[in-house]
Amino acid sequence: MRERCREGKGVAMKRGSLWLVLAAAWGSPFCAYAEDAAVDIVKAEQTAVNLCSTCHGPRGVSRSAEFPILAAQREGYLLAQLDAFRTHARAEKDAHDFMWGIAGQLDPAVIRGLARYYASQPPAPARVDDPALVAKGKALFDAGVPERGIPACATCHGAHAEGMGDFPRLAGQHAKYVAKQIAYIQTLVRAAPVMHGIVKDFAPAEIQAVAAYVQSL
Amino acid sequence: MTDARQRGTLHRCQWLAIVAVPMLLSVAASSLAVPSFARQTGQECIACHVSFPELTPYGRYFKLTGYTIGKPLFSEQGLNYVPIAAMAQVGVTRTSRNHETDPDTGESVEVNPRNDRLELCCASLFAASKLTEFMGGFVQWTYDHQQSNDQGQRVGHSGMDNVDLRIVGRYSEAGAAEPDLVYGGTLHNNPTVQDVWNSTPAFGFPFTASSLASTPSFATLIDGGLAQQVAGMGAYVFWKKSLYAELSLYRNADGAFSWMRAGDNAAGLKGYNPYWRLAYNHEWGPNSIMVGTYGLDVRRYPDSTITDSPTDRVLDTALDAQYQYITDPHTFTAQLTYIHEKQKYDASYAAFVSTGSGIGAGPTPSNANDTLRTWKAKATYYHDRKYGGTLALFSTSGSSDAGLYGTDADGNARRPDNRGYIVELDYLPIQYVRLMLQYTGYTKFDGASTNFDGNGRNARDNNTLFFNAWVAF
Repeated sequence: MRERCREGKGVAMKRGSLWLVLAAAWGSPFCAYAEDAAVDIVKAEQTAVNLCSTCHGPRGVSRSAEFPILAAQREGYLLAQLDAFRTHARAEKDAHDFMWGIAGQLDPAVIRGLARYYASQPPAPARVDDPALVAKGKALFDAGVPERGIPACATCHGAHAEGMGDFPRLAGQHAKYVAKQIAYIQTLVRAAPVMHGIVKDFAPAEIQAVAAYVQSL
Repeated sequence: MTDARQRGTLHRCQWLAIVAVPMLLSVAASSLAVPSFARQTGQECIACHVSFPELTPYGRYFKLTGYTIGKPLFSEQGLNYVPIAAMAQVGVTRTSRNHETDPDTGESVEVNPRNDRLELCCASLFAASKLTEFMGGFVQWTYDHQQSNDQGQRVGHSGMDNVDLRIVGRYSEAGAAEPDLVYGGTLHNNPTVQDVWNSTPAFGFPFTASSLASTPSFATLIDGGLAQQVAGMGAYVFWKKSLYAELSLYRNADGAFSWMRAGDNAAGLKGYNPYWRLAYNHEWGPNSIMVGTYGLDVRRYPDSTITDSPTDRVLDTALDAQYQYITDPHTFTAQLTYIHEKQKYDASYAAFVSTGSGIGAGPTPSNANDTLRTWKAKATYYHDRKYGGTLALFSTSGSSDAGLYGTDADGNARRPDNRGYIVELDYLPIQYVRLMLQYTGYTKFDGASTNFDGNGRNARDNNTLFFNAWVAF
């Protein structure tokens, strides 16, 4: 993890001011486990199979849109979120009701193992519910809304929403979950200062469109 | 139920009353809201409960894995949490027609002397915890404030309520994505209290009802008739989250198992009696469905205190189904069960035919065989797990039997039938508190729609409006 933290900041320095701001906002949690890099992959896989799969599905592909798909998610992002649950930095209702208790009882080495396990799983299949909505979402994702100062989502989340660095993968994620998280960030229920600045002026229809698009990838 | 004939009928059916008392107690306190499990897991009630005690898929998994998710009671750091929880219920009961005329004195008497008054129903203490990675369980102790003695005086009583102790294991092949097999053993004291679907009786709807209201006298044995009277030892497997199979054996909760019993040893079971359960479970998206069967085959002494007599046999065979749609904010759940009971009075009927009376205080059936059939169905909607509404239908019908159920004014043998509906509104201001308004309507009660007691009382006169506040902490 120490190397990962260094890499993350190095990338930020090379790619301009936006990256610098984003890395400053997100970088700290990524380094939470930098001092002890032990990974208990065996216990992590047992935990994933016997516990996490109950809500997050087999190999992290959840059946219910109430629970996020973890398969192929960025390892650093998973680490950051589990840390946020442990420290209660992430405090929306679902996090409080479900994940504080789960993450709070996991050993750091198991958390690292879980992040690695889910990051290495095959991604969830794409799902298209409404092609017109997906097309609208693609435009927003690829180009943003320049006249309103909203940057393209692809800037940080990757051209195909595959995630970039430690910025989360959105491709294949449940549209309902994505929309819910954007709404949480908009209303500051979920603390994500940089994302809040980007999505604060998103209209509900735009949120639905972007969410439908990333689910289709 | 005040005329001499009715009193005589009740006397002949004393064994049924003995069964009915613990059944009614279990209805009053049939609840499982165990906040100490929430302290153990660090999760909120809604992780496991749609609305307590109805379980979510995760809640079912938590129970099947022996309540072993989360922190054990003790670790190297010492005691991790207090494994004690409590709950209490207070309510107001309004009976549709609360006065009737005593046929002996001609005076007007109250059916429910505590009508329209705020009354404590009951309070429970739970010891509930994960003990090791492979063991967990709960023990519930309940004080029933409304329990009355034979003279109708409220005396209150505390005793053992539900118990479920488990030892579990899991098996998965290398590289499995989900558990291939969850298996375990359970020791409990109420048939179906160990089940994880809320279509079975112990944790079926209604989850609570007024302990002051008049309720039907007859139900199948598995529908609460052995609650807190027996010790059940079972083994189960849950394969690939699809197939559940269980075999349990029930015996009297006496001897080493007497701590699991509430009140007298009234079950009167002979030896060990089998219970089976098979269920197919499927989950997709926010949906889950279960279809299954369960049943109980027991041999009972007609009088539980006379254990050198021949036995009667009761065979309960049930089908059930459950559907759940759980999202934020909409939750819809439905349960259905059908129970067929075959009563074979090999001992009691033979005694009645030859001597004109039963064995001891046992039943005096007019038929060698009787049947009971129970249907229950309910559908529930919750918004934001806070505002809920439920509609339920119930029906029990059976063969007529003058010896068991008495005769009507025309001398015809009566039936044990009852039929009705429940409309319930719920509001949970916080997850640990449920405010409930429940209306129970009867179209048939103890065998008839009108004049079911021979004293002019109609089924609808027992319709009950019940406000209840249920707090767990």
